[in-house]
Amino acid sequence: MIKVTDLTLKYRSGKGVFDLNFEIKKGEVVGYLGPNGAGKTTTIRALMGFIKQDDGSASINGLDTFADAPEIMKNLGYLPGEITFLEGMTGEEYLNYLAEVRGMKDLKRQRELIKMFEFSPKGNIKKYSKGMKQKLGIVAAFMHDPDVLILDEPTSGLDPLMQNRFVELIQEEKRRGKTILMSSHMFEEIERTCDHVLIIKEGHLVASADIETLKNSQRKGYEIKTKDNAQAVTLLTKLGFDAKLVNDIVEVYITGESTDQFIKSCSMLHIDSFDVKSQSLEDVFMHYYAKGANV
Amino acid sequence: MSFALFKLSIKKNWLLFVIFTLVLMMYSGVMISMYSPENVQNLMQMFELFPPEMMKAFGFASAFTDMTGYLASWLYGLLMVGFPMVYSILLANKLVAKSVDTGSIACLLSTPTSRVKIIITKAVYALLSLTVMLAILFAFNVLIGKAMFPNDLNVEAFLNLNITVLLVNLVVMCISFFFSCVFSDSKLSIGFGAGIPIAFLLLKMLGDVSDKVEILKKISIFGWYDPMSIAAGNTVWVVNGVYLIIIVILLSLSVIIFKQKRLAI
Repeated sequence: MIKVTDLTLKYRSGKGVFDLNFEIKKGEVVGYLGPNGAGKTTTIRALMGFIKQDDGSASINGLDTFADAPEIMKNLGYLPGEITFLEGMTGEEYLNYLAEVRGMKDLKRQRELIKMFEFSPKGNIKKYSKGMKQKLGIVAAFMHDPDVLILDEPTSGLDPLMQNRFVELIQEEKRRGKTILMSSHMFEEIERTCDHVLIIKEGHLVASADIETLKNSQRKGYEIKTKDNAQAVTLLTKLGFDAKLVNDIVEVYITGESTDQFIKSCSMLHIDSFDVKSQSLEDVFMHYYAKGANV
Repeated sequence: MSFALFKLSIKKNWLLFVIFTLVLMMYSGVMISMYSPENVQNLMQMFELFPPEMMKAFGFASAFTDMTGYLASWLYGLLMVGFPMVYSILLANKLVAKSVDTGSIACLLSTPTSRVKIIITKAVYALLSLTVMLAILFAFNVLIGKAMFPNDLNVEAFLNLNITVLLVNLVVMCISFFFSCVFSDSKLSIGFGAGIPIAFLLLKMLGDVSDKVEILKKISIFGWYDPMSIAAGNTVWVVNGVYLIIIVILLSLSVIIFKQKRLAI
């Protein structure tokens, strides 16, 4: 459905994306991960036909993303990373314009989405909060029920409740056979929705993996407080865990498959508190690369 | 041309249009009411109080005999060029460069509307709104003029003058629109889109001051016709034709450039 071959797109600053190759099949939901400035949005610009690539090719449904952009847009929903809407309009007027220009008669899906995100498209868009703008963007991207969706950091600005709604929406669209590419720098969001993950760093695709593979290679961190931290570290290290004392807290990193053994080992300690350490995307990458190198 | 986008353009830009039209109507109304056939002599004497170079620079010719000449000199010499120029600069920048600069054009490009269609629709709005504005003013001036001084206005000559002034204003709009398509940065778009028409206007004003620097006038798009001579019944079809050709060229270039443009949105 989406096919990118040797895609290179350079900016004058020297940044850009280089020799990208990936393919997203119909019905697949793919997460596009990478730190800020890695080239996620640049790739999306090429897919949307905003910038013509310097080299290589990109196609959606067999159509060239630059030359055939208007044809592609008939069946594509796009949510920009940094949304700027047309000025001086209400949300309602904007949605009406989109419906008109897309020749939509049936606005059932639009109403469903508005209800789902508890959104009210009244009032001038300029006065909207970031979360409201994001909701309007989501409604605009999904309301014509497109087969392909390109979403750039779709949950930014949404509160946790609405982030959950969004995950549910993606899961629903996935069941209905939609092809989705979504960029993010939040691993949790991608973990809950995607089948496959592409990881980009400094303009180069550094990994392409199934979510299961990535999950298993991902090491989770735990923070434990015990009666005697030093003893706990010694014990856990002896059992083969990567444990260390940081700021009077024992930090332990384990891979998915040894969770059971770890929990059982913990029963030997006198535990005051037990927390899951949230990991940045960078950590996830680092460990994925480290593991990838060993295999 | 997209009808939905055209309607949207009207919705988003009508206020600018109304403000400029009303200001120009008010100004024209005052100018016409100041005219009086008996007072032509008095007006001429008033002119003589000012340095002749200054009067010429502002397009106020000293020798007019009727209302058509009066309007050609006082209204169409500078005002009917300067005011619409500001409108053109503001509108052209807003229509393209600003929406690329802020990224809001992504809202249009993510619909099945092609870039060519978007630019043509916006250009049609720009040119049509300016044409309608000047047409309203023409009708208004004729109406007021005829009502107040039934025999003093040569409508045919006045129409010819309005056609030429409209065309030169459309050229200005196309210059601003062209730079609005070229630059993604609103500042650069305004800089060139305003700078070049203003430079043309200054050249024309300087060229009017003295015959020695008439060459300055000839390189300005505003110096290719003499409002007084058109008001006296002459026509400048060749100049009109050249304006039309420039308009077509600038519009074609705008479309070609925007079609291939890298849009970092």
